[in-house]
This record gives sequence, C-alpha cells and structure tokens, in this order.
Amino acid sequence: MFLKLLLFATYIIFLTLIVIFSYSFIDPNLGYLKDIYTGFAFQNRQLTTVLFVFFLLCFFVYYILFLKFFNKKQLSQKEIKTLICATVGVLIFAYPAMLSYDIFNYIATAKVLFLYKENPYIMMPIDFLHEPLLAFMHAANKTALYGPSWLLLSGIPFIIGAGNFILTLFSFKLFIVIFFLATIFLILRITNNMFSVILFSLNPLVVFETIVSSHNDIVMVFFALLSYYLLSKKRVWLAIVFFLISVFIKFATLFILPIFLYAVWKSINKQKVYWDKIYYYSSVAMYVIFFLSPLREEIYPWYAIWFLVLAFLIPEKKLLLLISIIFSFSLLLRYIPFMLTGNYFGFTPLAKILLTFVPIIIGLGIVLLHKSWRKVCFR
Amino acid sequence: MLLFFIFSPKQFAFAQSSYVLPYPSEMPGSKLYKAFVLWDELMAYWYFGNLSQFTYSLEQSDKYLVEAKTLFEYKQYYFADNALKESDEYFHEAKRALDRAAVERKDIKDKKTILREAAKKHIEVLESSRNRVPETFLWQPEKSQPTMLSIGSNLSQSISVRKSCF
Repeated sequence: MFLKLLLFATYIIFLTLIVIFSYSFIDPNLGYLKDIYTGFAFQNRQLTTVLFVFFLLCFFVYYILFLKFFNKKQLSQKEIKTLICATVGVLIFAYPAMLSYDIFNYIATAKVLFLYKENPYIMMPIDFLHEPLLAFMHAANKTALYGPSWLLLSGIPFIIGAGNFILTLFSFKLFIVIFFLATIFLILRITNNMFSVILFSLNPLVVFETIVSSHNDIVMVFFALLSYYLLSKKRVWLAIVFFLISVFIKFATLFILPIFLYAVWKSINKQKVYWDKIYYYSSVAMYVIFFLSPLREEIYPWYAIWFLVLAFLIPEKKLLLLISIIFSFSLLLRYIPFMLTGNYFGFTPLAKILLTFVPIIIGLGIVLLHKSWRKVCFR
Repeated sequence: MLLFFIFSPKQFAFAQSSYVLPYPSEMPGSKLYKAFVLWDELMAYWYFGNLSQFTYSLEQSDKYLVEAKTLFEYKQYYFADNALKESDEYFHEAKRALDRAAVERKDIKDKKTILREAAKKHIEVLESSRNRVPETFLWQPEKSQPTMLSIGSNLSQSISVRKSCF
C-alpha cells in the first residue's frame, strides 16, 4: 500500500516536472509568453537532451510498473481512473510546442477560416502579413494540411478562445484532451479490459503526443474507433458517417477502408464479424501507412497513435503488442538529434532512423533469444 | 548604333513584366469547353473570401486573356471579343475583391503588386494584339443577323481597364 502511494505521489511530481520542463522550450518569438521565456532548452542543448531522455526513461518505467501492478491485481479500476485523471489534469498545463509546433498550425488554419473567412486550402497564413502567429509558427507557407472535418471541428476551440491567444492555445489542448478521454472510454466499451485502457492511456508516446503536443491524430483515431464500435452495434449508417469524418480529418484512416468495408458487408449480411481480426488487420494496415509516410515527408512520432490504439485493443497478440510498445519508446527518441544539435540536416536524419529501428531490432532479438533459451531449458 | 539604342522607342524593349500568363486552355468550339466553363463557375464557390476571390478572378482574367489572344491569332474575332469581355469583367472583379479585402483590414500590399504586374503583362499582350487585328470586323453568322465588332475600341477599353489599377 505504501509502495503504491509512493508510486502515485512520485508520478504526480514527475508529471509536474515535465510541465515545468516543457516551458523551457518556449519559442523566443512567442511574445505572448515572453514573461516566462528563459531560452533554457535552446541555450543548454546537452542538458536539455539529458533531461528529456531521463523523463522518457522514467515515464516508461512508470508505464511498465503500472502494467505490472495491474497484472498482479494491485491496481483497481478506480486507481487507474485516478492515474488517468492525474496525467490529464497535470499535463494539460504543459507547453504544447515543446516537441512540435503543430498546434500553432491548427490555430492559424482555424484563424484563416473563421476569422479571416478565407479558404485555408487556397490562402496560407503567410498571406496575412500582419498576423502575429507568423512570428513563431513553422508552416506559415503551407495551405491547410488537414481534411475538412478537422477544419470545421477546429472552429470549436478557436471560437472558445475568443481571440485571446493563450485561451485559444489551451482551448485547443482541452479539445484534444476531450477526444483522448473519449477514446479511452471507447476502448473500455469495446474491450471491457482495463489492461487495454492502461496500455493506451498511460503510454508515454500517446500521452506526450496527445496531452502535451495536442496532435489531432487522436481525433481521427477516435472517429475511426467510434465507427467500428457503432458497426459492432449494427448501426451501419452512423458507422459509415463517422468513418468518413475520420478519413476527412487526416486521410490516414483511408488505409483501413477495405477492412471497414469488409466489416460493413459482414454486418449487412448478418454474418459474424471477428472483431479481433478486424482490429488486428486494421492495426497492420495503419503500420503500412505509417511506414509509407516518408514518401510524403518523414515518420513523425505521433503517427504511431494510428496503430497503437488498434494494437492495444488486442493485447493477446503478443508480437504486435511488443513491437507497438517498443515503437512507442523508440519513436520518442527521434526528438533527440534535433534537440541536441538544433539541426535538421547532417547526421540528424540518419540518427533518427537508427534511434527508431535499432531498439526494435534489439527488442525482437531479446525476445527471440529468450524464446530459444526457454526451448532449450524445457527440452 | 549607339544612338539607335539610346533613342529607340521603349516598346521595342523585351517583356516589361515578369508576370507569367497561363498556357491556353480549351477553346470555344471544343467539346470540353462548356464543361470547363461550368467547372470554373463552380470553383468560384470554392474560392470564398475576398483574397481568395482576388486570386480566382485574376486567374480567370488571365485565362480569358490568353484565350482572346489565341483566338485573335486564329482570326476568330467574335469568340476573341467575348473572351476579352470576360477577361475585363474578371479583372474588374479582382480589383473589387481587393477593395473589399482592404475594407476588412486585410493586408493587400502584396496582392496589389501582383495586380499591377498582371496589368502590365495584360497591357503588353493587348497592345501586341491591337497591332495585328482590324479596327472593326463584320461578323456574319450563318443563320442570324451580322454583327459589327469594334475590336480596336474594345481592345483600347480593355487596356484602359488595366491602366486604371496604376
């Protein structure tokens, strides 16, 4: 009991430290937060990287501990909910552009559409020369990158922000967090398994990319999952509508369209749908689009959310689970080269590839060795 | 030789504007022409917002100008004259969209420069066409009344539309 309390207390302190650490990444041109700007992350790159790796390792240790505690039945459902609430409640205050500037793109695109009343697929933020966001956002010279579902949805946090940048920033964070919580709720409804809930909701990559960095991938994934859930309840038309909403958020779920259509066909013909297989093949399909993403730009860590949510629905698929967990660790390591050097070129691209795939090779190697060792022992 | 270069008239100079006009698209009479026109009309809704409308109208003005120029070259004066009127109307609309954007306090400095560059290029094209076409032309369709086309004055009118933005 004491050990558990200690674990919970240190976890909340740990999350608070992440929040403090995140503010060391404030962009020097972000005038709205100039009073708390320190420039620490940019002036002390080595120390910042060491701290980041330390936070990452600690987060994974907590993750593994929580999973172990649950497996030993030492974590109740209420305690898991408390952990999720604590994670959300603390990290919602983290600076969102610690690892990625995407949240500024979301705000800028919403601003083009809802404030300037221009088509964001034609006009770029840079077309509005006096726009204050231009000082610190990174994709000012790009038209809207996301689908129309996202553009329309982003109007909600933008309007709640009422023209105040800080309020808008945090209303976007809150908006994403609501979808995060809704996804967890769906996972529980679909699987009725708290292990899947912990796997997803306390996964460091999911937490970093969703609660801290506020990537909209969670919204796309939520609608895809909702469509599967509705399909399992024989609400075919509603499922199709939500699936389309998902596709028109970020287009990646288009890759699971054949699997979705197969499930629809089975449902319409009143045949049994093997949902575990549907989730498995959907996860594999999302892995495929994930690996194809360098064709467009590069593998971004938050793309892992696409397959993680599906892989965690079926934890009994051990190999998929193992690969997914290792990936969620290794993909976060991709931030290290830039954090350390401040350079996207030179050794950085190769370092990113090595950091992404070497842990997978090591992890799978260890598993194979372990399996063959057990075979030898039991012979 | 030196005196020739010093006193040679300016219209002998190479392109005055770096603005680039599009390639000619479908021409009247083509089976796809009406479909393209319909598509363009539908696209007007896609280009909502005054700055987007500016982009759309200027693109349309460019397109119809190139169409008019090509048709003048093929001596299709009736269609060329129509295309010229469309180009003028879209050019007007581009200007009006910019004015509306200015009322909305949007920064239009860059767009104004683009409009001026476009106007310069349009004037180059229109002036070169004016030197090649007759002042008037009697267009005689097969089964209806003939129409006198005032090509020269229409071209002058188009040039003055462009000059109004300087």
